[in-house]
Amino acid sequence: MQVQVVYCSHQTAGLNVRERLAFSSPEQIQHAYDDFRGRFPASEIVVVSTCNRVEIYTAQEAAEDPPTQVQIVQFFSDFHQIPLEDFVDDLLARTGPDAVRHLFEVVSSLDSMVLGEPQIVSQVKSAYDLSRENGASGPLTNALFQGALHVSARVRSETRLAEGKVSIASVAVGDFGKSIFDRFDDKTVLIIGAGEMAEETLRYLQEEGTGEVFVVNRSPERAERLAKDCNAVVKPFDELDRWMREADIIVSTTGAERPIVDAARFRAVREGHANKPVFILDLGAPRDFDPAVADVDDNVFLYDIDHLEQTCERNRSARSKEVQAARVIIDEESRKFMQAIYHQATGPVIKRLREEWTEIREEEMQRLVAKLPDLEENAREEVERSLERIINKLLHPPLKALRDESAAGTPHGLVDALRRLFHLKD
Amino acid sequence: MSNISIFCFFASYLVAFALELSRLLKRTTISRTVMLLFGTAGLVAHTFYLFEQSAKQNLPPLLSSTHDWMLVLAWVVILFYLFMTTFDRDLAVGLFLLPLVLLFVGAAYFVNDSPNAMIATRESAIQKWAMLHATLLMFGIAGVVWGIVCSLMYLVQHRRLKQQQTLQQGLTLPSLPRLARWNRWSVMVSIPLLTLGMLTGVGLGLYAKGGAATMSFTDPVIMVNGSVWLVMVGFFIWLWRTDRPAGKQVAWLTMWAFGFLLVTLIGLQVLTGGHAAMSVSQPDGSQLVIGVPTIEEC
Repeated sequence: MQVQVVYCSHQTAGLNVRERLAFSSPEQIQHAYDDFRGRFPASEIVVVSTCNRVEIYTAQEAAEDPPTQVQIVQFFSDFHQIPLEDFVDDLLARTGPDAVRHLFEVVSSLDSMVLGEPQIVSQVKSAYDLSRENGASGPLTNALFQGALHVSARVRSETRLAEGKVSIASVAVGDFGKSIFDRFDDKTVLIIGAGEMAEETLRYLQEEGTGEVFVVNRSPERAERLAKDCNAVVKPFDELDRWMREADIIVSTTGAERPIVDAARFRAVREGHANKPVFILDLGAPRDFDPAVADVDDNVFLYDIDHLEQTCERNRSARSKEVQAARVIIDEESRKFMQAIYHQATGPVIKRLREEWTEIREEEMQRLVAKLPDLEENAREEVERSLERIINKLLHPPLKALRDESAAGTPHGLVDALRRLFHLKD
Repeated sequence: MSNISIFCFFASYLVAFALELSRLLKRTTISRTVMLLFGTAGLVAHTFYLFEQSAKQNLPPLLSSTHDWMLVLAWVVILFYLFMTTFDRDLAVGLFLLPLVLLFVGAAYFVNDSPNAMIATRESAIQKWAMLHATLLMFGIAGVVWGIVCSLMYLVQHRRLKQQQTLQQGLTLPSLPRLARWNRWSVMVSIPLLTLGMLTGVGLGLYAKGGAATMSFTDPVIMVNGSVWLVMVGFFIWLWRTDRPAGKQVAWLTMWAFGFLLVTLIGLQVLTGGHAAMSVSQPDGSQLVIGVPTIEEC
């Protein structure tokens, strides 16, 4: 089998290159498949295109005329109408076992920007489904991508690579918010400031389903923009205390130079509401809430960006420790996959050998029955079984030799020798 | 089966608890499976032991002796633990429940397992009332155990959240509102059960006064437990009448009140060897002290 991948990823190419080489829509990918198959009709192809990588996998059974890496690079250039010199240095290529291992690493999220992130599995699966729908895949890519999904499942279940959240917003909501509240759909959210972090955190909260969302910002224009994107309501900045009292969740990212809420101010806000839990995410740097606010009462849960970042870092470091364990699984599965593929190539010879010897067995059996017409049914069956056993025993050593040789690659020499020794025809 | 001793299931529960602790360091499917197997093995041995005891004394385990009554309580708690752990693979409830199970089983070892003479010899109506009394108390105490566990989990979770600590491996706990809800329910259910159990116990005591067995209501054991019960009722009324009480406050109060009740219960049983304040007149005029699982012991 000839398998190879030509690719660029966030580790090899900048976003300016990746976005020019990307296949961004299903229609564009369909055109790419049509074009590629026109150039290389014998080759199976799968295009994986995400915001962090663009990869073209090709595979074909016949050793003759596979697309070369230069031809694939040229295809990128022709299809996207980009001069080769603009991107050729950013592309990498792998062939054979290295290409298989690369796919297994990609789908196991070892090559992702966020180690262990889960989206890559569905992205690779969708890419393969799209290839199949466009008639660009075949038995080899099917085996390759099914194998990849199997490896990903093993890595995720046998290591802790995907455990622990690694983004500030996900840690805030997942590790803390969900322990403070049972549900979010009846909770009022107050956003103070209109920074990117507020937007990202709000997106996580809205995935859980939030109640009303209010935005308070010194600049009403920015507040309006965020409110429009997030289906929120803008409130005047001078009503901040009132909305802090109403809120169950406060996300603050003002970028103010000094804390805008100190303990005394927040104590006044909490008067008469001390039994209601409030979850405060202070994502401002410098902080928007004085740390003493956390001690106002038992139901104030204040988290600043440093606390959240420390948790993210701990989780990232825990994931990094699992990389080695994941690589062991990937190496083992890559080896098994290649052995199975190499062994598959010996299939026609084995089948032919078995057929020839079975023919001989049947001829000899007929001759024996003709010579011994009085042979009883039981005896005849016993002789047949003996002949079958002899054939199996004789076949065992060459088949074992083929299997052993397959560990290192397709055993072309051994296959040729068998063909010549036993006069096997294709 | 007759070779099954308390040590068999105590050891099984101890191993299950050790495995629960090990999950704080590393969580694997194998350790969880082994933990559940040990828990289940312990439960099976525990069940056989109770059957054996019951058959030997010709009384249901709840009535036969204080020793058996405590073991039935431990049996209910372990069944609940296995149910929770089977259906929620992440919940670390075993870390809190199993030490209490071990405490009950351990304490049962030190209390009297002699058959309850009064119940064994009295008519079936008394036995039925005694059964009701023991059952109400047993479920009431099970509610107390669950209240303590919920309060502990609440306080651990609250502390983690206040100190901005990330989720620790193997120590996954429910959210604060859920724990507060469970806690409140445990109080609202267990205290009425204990009260009913106590009332049936007093009724039984008064009835027994007329017979061969006598009971002193001024016994220190009865007086201590009566006082604890009054504290419980006060707590119940406060919780019932307070609108949206602070979760942490409820958790601490539950811990103190239920913890005190449990310590008193276990402590008095162990110190008195499980003897109730009841005696039976002997033909020679002497008094024979017998064990009986009534609220006066709780």
